[in-house]
Amino acid sequence: MADFTADVFQNEFLPDGGTDVHAIVRVTSTGASAGTTSAGLPDPGSAAEVILIDTSGSMGRRGVQAAGEAAKAALAEMVDGTLFSIVSGNGTAQIVYPYSHQGALVPMSAHTRGEANRAIDGLRANGGTAMGTWLTLARQIFETVPHVTKRHAILLTDGVNEGETPRSLQAAVQSCVGAFQCDCRGVGDQWRVDEVRGIASALLGTVDLIPAPEEMAAEFEAMMRASMSRGVANSELRVWVPQGAELLFVKQVSPTLEDLTSRRTVLNPLTGAYPTGAWSDESRDYHVAVRLPARTLGQEQLAARVQFSLGGDPVAQALVKAKWSNDDSLTTRIDPAVAAYTGQAELATVIQEGLAAKAAGQDDVATAKLGRAVQLADATGNDDMTTRLKKVVEIDDADTGTVRLKKGASKIDEMSLDTASTKTSRVRR
Amino acid sequence: MTDIPTTGASQPAPVLPATESIASRDCPVCGTANAAESTFCEACGADLVVAVRASGEPQPPADVSDDTLLASATPQTAPAGEESPLDVGWTGAVPSSAVGPVTEDLTCHACGEGRIVDGYCDHCGTPPPNPRDHLVESPTAWVGGVCDIGKRHARNEDAMSLSATEAPGSRAVLVVCDGVSMATDSHIASLAAAKAARSVLDQPFPKGVGTPDAWAAGAGRALTNAVARANEAVAVSVVEDVPNPPSCTFAAAVVEDDVIVAGNVGDSRVYWLPDGVGEPARQLGRDDSFAQEQMAAGVPRLEAETGPHAHSITRWLGKDAPPDLTPHLTTLTATPGWLMVCSDGLWNYCSDAEALRALLHDAAGRLDEVTPTTVAQALVDFANGQGGRDNITVALARLAGRGSTTTTEATATAPLEGDPTDG
Repeated sequence: MADFTADVFQNEFLPDGGTDVHAIVRVTSTGASAGTTSAGLPDPGSAAEVILIDTSGSMGRRGVQAAGEAAKAALAEMVDGTLFSIVSGNGTAQIVYPYSHQGALVPMSAHTRGEANRAIDGLRANGGTAMGTWLTLARQIFETVPHVTKRHAILLTDGVNEGETPRSLQAAVQSCVGAFQCDCRGVGDQWRVDEVRGIASALLGTVDLIPAPEEMAAEFEAMMRASMSRGVANSELRVWVPQGAELLFVKQVSPTLEDLTSRRTVLNPLTGAYPTGAWSDESRDYHVAVRLPARTLGQEQLAARVQFSLGGDPVAQALVKAKWSNDDSLTTRIDPAVAAYTGQAELATVIQEGLAAKAAGQDDVATAKLGRAVQLADATGNDDMTTRLKKVVEIDDADTGTVRLKKGASKIDEMSLDTASTKTSRVRR
Repeated sequence: MTDIPTTGASQPAPVLPATESIASRDCPVCGTANAAESTFCEACGADLVVAVRASGEPQPPADVSDDTLLASATPQTAPAGEESPLDVGWTGAVPSSAVGPVTEDLTCHACGEGRIVDGYCDHCGTPPPNPRDHLVESPTAWVGGVCDIGKRHARNEDAMSLSATEAPGSRAVLVVCDGVSMATDSHIASLAAAKAARSVLDQPFPKGVGTPDAWAAGAGRALTNAVARANEAVAVSVVEDVPNPPSCTFAAAVVEDDVIVAGNVGDSRVYWLPDGVGEPARQLGRDDSFAQEQMAAGVPRLEAETGPHAHSITRWLGKDAPPDLTPHLTTLTATPGWLMVCSDGLWNYCSDAEALRALLHDAAGRLDEVTPTTVAQALVDFANGQGGRDNITVALARLAGRGSTTTTEATATAPLEGDPTDG
């Protein structure tokens, strides 16, 4: 059985009149991996996987072939017994495997894997890109197995959504929220990072860029391995704040940045729940910010109770506290974890805003935003991000954030910077 | 009878009934009595196991009850399951679990709506009040005190321990210790010191040959002994070597048949505030403080007590205490009046004895019911109204007096006390 722990990192001391409490809550799971369940074997039929492959005309013969190889690599990682389905998507979506008489999903076995591989070989590039229809079909497939709680999809695309309005895509994504998790990958430089990030973010998945078709297989293999290792589903973060307090935000800050604030479902007037998807053996950090009415010096208050729950049962808890003090040596200290993640969140924001401004032709805004990003990355020693930024801007002075937009920066470098912006580096304690 | 009162080693050690043998475990932080098997304090959540380990062997005299302490300061307990012949008719130690918060009310005191879960209200997030933050003791109608956290400190490091017999003026012990806030765990040290001192002072003083001088000498030795025991209690309250070992002040007054003996180390004070305007109000003893040294050198009181090092004390109890801990001793025969033992949390706002007498009479005049406890509370309210910058402790005994006004400076300390600093 999986064990969960929750640790809190914060400076609980507030100055006289102080109102805002920031805390990082680290949730760590052990024994949650599917491979390490009590019996040592995954429960057959406890998980369902759908692979959504873009077969629009833009993929071309080479692209579809590479995507097929990637899908096969993913199938090779799938544990026997896992229910699966392969969907090809263009302007519409079709199940290419299992065959219609077998239903929407079949359990993985040597036989079905072989059949699926042959079906994949029959894919051809043709038509447009309407990801909403793909996701809707995936949801319908998952709905045929209501008893399966672990539901995961991989979506591959190479282009911009077309043939359906942004609103209908948005509606389709919303209809899938809570129905399954979806990791999204874009291949090449013709897709839009914000569009695909919107899907992945809403469906509790990751988004990344695959620069060339040949790299798809390795990426799919890794994604599927990660999904197979997740043994715990139906988890959520519950945040209680006291009467009179305001919950400013709840963000996942590690391994990736994800603002969960708007995903709140109300459990009771003081408590909200935020879905956190499936877990393997891992740890994730959440940044919780609460605004309290200031109390008198010497007083103490519980600012937030953060619980991690599985299937509705709390399994771990962390208490975020507030103590008002007139001791400056206590109240002026900023917790290192809070500071680091606050900086990383700002870094992600300025990168995304800077790239958006650049795309919109607002070079002065883009220069200022990306300059700030360079400054932040430099100050926090985020060398990976500095390297990515260097491909997009010329750095004159990292200290002051003085940069010039690079002429002829490649689109793929900008997209790579964009997708990487939300990946945070773990703050060590 | 020249001996310092002993801890009753010559008497048979009383054996508590087995069922009550491990009656209680007093919390070193807040003083609440907990069931013996408790590992955490029911009231404040302090770790009792660590505290017991810290107190070492032998443990400082347990504060069980007056009767027990009169019988012996080191009560022995019977092994579990063994009945003692002394069980019959035993009226000694009352298991303090009876007075402890056995069935804790989990309703939040702050909002009245939520319940306390994991130490905080599940509605408004407020923790239950720490009982140590505000302590009230009223052992009898003529003795009472209030110990309060004040308004600016995060912890109450003052401690108070009072006892008294029923008949007014017969016998009372008032001890106040003020933990030094720059040291570690001084709130534990001060409470341990106050309790240890009281357990010594609860023993009747030797009458000697019956003269006032003989009584004063015996009382002086008892107070000196109480300081020594309190100092030991502070020393064992520290778990390990810390850079700032806990330390505290000491001020105590004992009333025996309307005769008062007072002693102090540090800057907690004993005041004698007689009703008769003809008799001056005065501080008994003097502070061991930088301010006091300055006043001795001629600096005016107000200037000395508000100067930069006014609160630096020159003597204290603790591991790093100075070698000479002989308290400043004073004995006097009471007239009708108030005996006060207080911490600097009060006298910071009213240091002069005459002013303090006026303040007390003014405060008492506003009260519907004048008891030592209500007057002490009124004075604590006064200090909090002035800002409450420090923890505040006020312990009072109301004395009817013998009518005599003879006062005697004790001879137990080599140098005579100086002129009353407030005179």
